Amino acid sequence: MVAFLARSLASLAVTFVMVMTLVFVAMEALPGDAAMLRSGIDASAAATDAARRELGLDAPVIVRYAQWWGDLVRGDLGDSFRERRPVTTILVERLPVTGALALAAFSLSVVLGLGLGFLAGMTPGSRFDRGVLGYTTIGLALPEFWFGFVLLLVFAIAWPVLPLIGLPDGGGAGAWLRHLTLPAITLAIPRAAQLARLTRATVLEHRQADWVRTVRAKGGPASLEFRHVAANASPGLFAPIALEAGGLLTGTIVVEQVFGLPGVGAMLIGAIGARDVPVVQGATVLAVLVYVAMNLLADVALAAGDPRAREA
Amino acid sequence: MQWGLALATLVLFFTIVGPWLVPHDPLEPDYRALYAAPSFMHLLGTDGLGRDVFARTLAGGRVSLVIALTATCVTALLGTLAGLVAAQLGGRWDAALVRIFDALLAFPGFLLVLLVVAALGGGTVQTILALGVAGTPLYFRLVRGFARTARDLDHVQAARAIGAGPLRTSLRHVLPTFLGPLTVQLATTAAGFLLVEASLSYLGLGVSLPTPTWGNVLQDARALLMRQPWAALGPGLALGMSTLSLQLIADGIRDALDPKRNGTW
Repeated sequence: MVAFLARSLASLAVTFVMVMTLVFVAMEALPGDAAMLRSGIDASAAATDAARRELGLDAPVIVRYAQWWGDLVRGDLGDSFRERRPVTTILVERLPVTGALALAAFSLSVVLGLGLGFLAGMTPGSRFDRGVLGYTTIGLALPEFWFGFVLLLVFAIAWPVLPLIGLPDGGGAGAWLRHLTLPAITLAIPRAAQLARLTRATVLEHRQADWVRTVRAKGGPASLEFRHVAANASPGLFAPIALEAGGLLTGTIVVEQVFGLPGVGAMLIGAIGARDVPVVQGATVLAVLVYVAMNLLADVALAAGDPRAREA
Repeated sequence: MQWGLALATLVLFFTIVGPWLVPHDPLEPDYRALYAAPSFMHLLGTDGLGRDVFARTLAGGRVSLVIALTATCVTALLGTLAGLVAAQLGGRWDAALVRIFDALLAFPGFLLVLLVVAALGGGTVQTILALGVAGTPLYFRLVRGFARTARDLDHVQAARAIGAGPLRTSLRHVLPTFLGPLTVQLATTAAGFLLVEASLSYLGLGVSLPTPTWGNVLQDARALLMRQPWAALGPGLALGMSTLSLQLIADGIRDALDPKRNGTW
């Protein structure tokens, strides 16, 4: 297990360097001249040049690349062009909204996805199974924001039990929960559907295994059969669950827009529109870090649950 | 499968022929009929500029479908080529390609699309490129895996033994062994791209206005959700039917390729 961890971490380190280099290249490729933005669009050429020197943009690419790594390692993501304050500060302000939303959506989709998938897989061909099939088919056929519209129409407009958009000013956890309910359900609909499909397929596969057939032949109770299936099917589901968690940070982008939530996603979209490269970069680094970390977690969880996976 | 093909035919018919059958220009504002409710003249009503929502849905379908299908071809072509090359050359080239595509895979897919669109600017071609880049690593992995397995098959070794070059071996003998599963993946990818394109246009980063796509027609609908909820129905339904038909086709091909899977979804 130690050797496995060491190998995973080494491979992760290489991937991390490559990915961050890609981020650097992508940020270089983004349109917009930082010096121009800093000095104002009607500034004189001399003023723009001064701003360029001040920002260190007159240095060769290699030098800037090295400096960029130095800043990154120290946790400095630069200052926002627009707001002229550190990107990390802005990120820290925005993260609670997105984090809470992602966490709520994640919990909901894991509980729903695993639950529906397991039950459908244990009763293939039943009415329940077909119901789950219907849900997963529709859940994966439409964009998530469309479900957001429907939820808004039903629960905020036609039958106004939940707030329409935005976040409460202050207010306790209860108020937050009310505002995050619809966005979290919106995010969870396609993700739970995806997970339910996968879980069902895995459960079906393991139900055919010899040891499960033996349990059934010996007349073991359904709970015992369920345990045998669950123990073998679970490790294979760690990876998709961790990947889902990693992808949620970008999944929130669209949903934050639908529900007017001031999270990291909304910040990213605003920054892209305003050509605020440091902010775009900050959001990107954060999303990639979470995604890569979750990938590692998936590998580790799989190895912990299934000794065979440690060999590969 | 039959249902999938029937649905696909329906969607294609409406998006290809539809815009000629509707007596409204999807771009033409009609200031005498703003926010009109659905009627026989305007099946889904009109939007805030008096444009016919039904006409915009049909015209948007053309753009959305062209983007999703073209991007699928681009991504499959790039990924398949890179995958075949990696499997054929092996060694250092293979390792380098794997590293590059692994790094791309370390980006959450949607973020990658966003960044490419942000760098290139919005538009039809840019959106196709962004989707193409984001999808390529997946195809690379898939094709490389298949091609490495196929290398050791008898008929491939026989071809190599009688002097077939790397190009001929790859295209004539290796590629056909996994064309089936690749086709399944194509249909799934096209469905996924339709949804991603809708999200992009919804965010205002995809195809720029006033050109309608299902995504930005839905964006208009979001603004008017309280006033005229029916405007969200048309593009949503059209989009859902398209992705559903592609998924059903993918399932159908999968079942046909693997009889053991029949009846399980």
